[in-house]
Amino acid sequence: MKIQRKLLNRIEGEVELKLLWDSGRIKDAFVCAPNYRGFEKLLVGRPYLDAVVITPRICGICGHAHLMASVEAIEDAYRKAGFKVELSDKAQRIRKLTLTCEFLQNHLRWFYLYLMPDIIKLEPNLRELYEPLKGSVWTEALKASNLPVKVIALFGGQWPHTSYAVPGGVVCDPTGWELVQAEFLLRKLKEFFEERLLGMTFENYLSLKGEEYLEKLGGDMRVFCEVAIDHGLHEAGASYDRFLSGGNFLPGVTSGVLSENGKKFSFEVSKVSENEDFSFFSKRKEAYTWSKAARYEGLPYETGPLARQLMSGNEIIKNLYGKYGSSVLVRVLARLDEGAKLLKEALVLLSGIKLNEPSWIKPPLETKNFSGKGVGVIEASRGTLIHEIEINQGKIKSYNVITPTVWNLGPRDGKYLGVVERAVVGMASELKAEIVVRSFDVCSVCTSH
Amino acid sequence: MNLLWLQGLTCSGNTQSFLCAENPSADEVLGMFEVLFCPFSSWEVDMEEVILKLLRRREELNVLILEGAVGGSDHRVCKRSFAEVVRELSRRADYVIALGNCAVFGNIPAKYDQEVKGLQYRFKQMGGVLGRDFRSRSGLPVINLSGCPAHPSWLSYVLLQILSQRKIELDELGRPKELYAYLTHHGCIRNEYFEWKVEAEELGKKEGCLFYYFGCKGPMTHSSCNRILWNGLSSKTRVGMPCVGCTEYDFPREGMLETRHLMGIPDELPLGVSKRGYILISGIAKTFAPERLKKRLMDEDSKETAQQD
Repeated sequence: MKIQRKLLNRIEGEVELKLLWDSGRIKDAFVCAPNYRGFEKLLVGRPYLDAVVITPRICGICGHAHLMASVEAIEDAYRKAGFKVELSDKAQRIRKLTLTCEFLQNHLRWFYLYLMPDIIKLEPNLRELYEPLKGSVWTEALKASNLPVKVIALFGGQWPHTSYAVPGGVVCDPTGWELVQAEFLLRKLKEFFEERLLGMTFENYLSLKGEEYLEKLGGDMRVFCEVAIDHGLHEAGASYDRFLSGGNFLPGVTSGVLSENGKKFSFEVSKVSENEDFSFFSKRKEAYTWSKAARYEGLPYETGPLARQLMSGNEIIKNLYGKYGSSVLVRVLARLDEGAKLLKEALVLLSGIKLNEPSWIKPPLETKNFSGKGVGVIEASRGTLIHEIEINQGKIKSYNVITPTVWNLGPRDGKYLGVVERAVVGMASELKAEIVVRSFDVCSVCTSH
Repeated sequence: MNLLWLQGLTCSGNTQSFLCAENPSADEVLGMFEVLFCPFSSWEVDMEEVILKLLRRREELNVLILEGAVGGSDHRVCKRSFAEVVRELSRRADYVIALGNCAVFGNIPAKYDQEVKGLQYRFKQMGGVLGRDFRSRSGLPVINLSGCPAHPSWLSYVLLQILSQRKIELDELGRPKELYAYLTHHGCIRNEYFEWKVEAEELGKKEGCLFYYFGCKGPMTHSSCNRILWNGLSSKTRVGMPCVGCTEYDFPREGMLETRHLMGIPDELPLGVSKRGYILISGIAKTFAPERLKKRLMDEDSKETAQQD
């Protein structure tokens, strides 16, 4: 049996893929996150508001989602301790808008910067368009991905790494200038979507129906689909067919749990657990990663855009899933379709911001002596993100973070392989196995934190 | 000139930040170099092979960029210790750039693990992984671009200076003076409030200075955040977020969103200001503060009308 070690390190940090080959097929796979930074331990003993500064630094790609999970966890602790925490509609809209913009940045960069380089390996004639640094579409997409982060900067000061959301609201006090700028930037982004990604107007795209979707698709999405189908990526990449989405925070995104026989349940955070049998925390010799394994009712679940869209009743994605299962093709389309829909929602959120409302409503408590426990569940671009905080006399007593990649890229437990591990077992091509791994939006910096 | 970009213990925030670069953009800057490996643009080459080739063939390396901190004995690449690899590559490089607070000072991962270091520092302690006396082949110590993350233009500036062979002057922490001689305070749109000691007592308002109650480190943090704006248009303090001092060696400190006081005087005073001076000046400033600074710039009604129009 051949053992192959492969380092995947395209932007998302390093993740090591160890593949065991037998008679030309992958017999077993190990996803290893080799580095650990100790965020949860570093937070203990600090004033609890430090969490909103430190936790976004867990990830440079979805740090904003960490900020939102962190602030929600603290607000949840306030509420559970009996304090009334009010948030103005304005503050809520601005938080949702900036998180949505982080999704838009992520989905674009993920597709063009992380995924397409693998696709040009399959179809070298596309190199001219999608080659990193040089391809005409690559450079255009990079510039387009900077439009939504400018919107975050307008309200949050900068991206990456701001802590502009605090318990009780947001710190910014925008004027019409910010709104006008943000609207212009989102409209520019819409143009990019229409001209490049969708290859048609937004209206036409949103009117596509399940049956005709793949035939009518245009733009870079069509390019991807054609290559994907030619190379069998519509048949590769299924895992457990169990899906989970935790956050209700974003427009059009519903939480829920979908079992392998198609039954839907509501998501309950109390059913989430972490297993560390195969992570270095256990100090066992079988351990191979710094990631823990997240489980729901003891079972591995896939999280991410496909899970979210199945939960939210997206007809197109449901239809594709019915036809092709949880393949690379469907996983990628779920992410891009979500991007298009979120862009539309971002404009709606923006237009509803009422400037005369307060940005921050001071919570009625003395922070120094506060004790309590709270949990924040948010959807980050690559799936469900959970922050749990316990505060004692104003200081953090314990902090636990479960990132989306801990669901997808986490290790096996005694019974089940990790979600990604299971998805590549049985494959015969190394490159395609890598594409399957990447279709989950690998972010190893989040996996081990 | 060739360039190698490696990542240590990192959140990839500096990579993501650099991808936001404008005038010039990330592809325009890197387009001027022969990129041996870079985490966001290399797709055909294997990072470990590139490193091994450099180590074996003693090939020339012009620019080495390290993003992220260097870990202890567990931190490995090419089946060797990462620290060892970084030391060897640094010795061979014309220029070594530490990008972001983790690579410069060790930052968050160093707070958790004693073994974790930055390239030439561990917090304020000189030495780091490369040692006190390290000089790259150009004669410069590590060029430190501190910040969590570093501003994309700060990296572009250094790379373009190197390319045009212009001199880069460094401060006592190895940071380019032209970028870090400034304080976050310089260019902050709340400066007038600071001068007259009109303090923000609440967040979420455009008026008032965030130094006295909300821990803003703008007056003691070396950064050009308010001169070279983020994402081309903004900064944390401009929108009303206190500066958390992420370009300094002691980031992240405890209690970043609060100001500690002793008998009404902030524990930490603006850079170079004595306690006596502060008491005297702030007393006078407060007394003579113009009335217009004590009220809102716009009333709520006018905002509403503006929106209805």
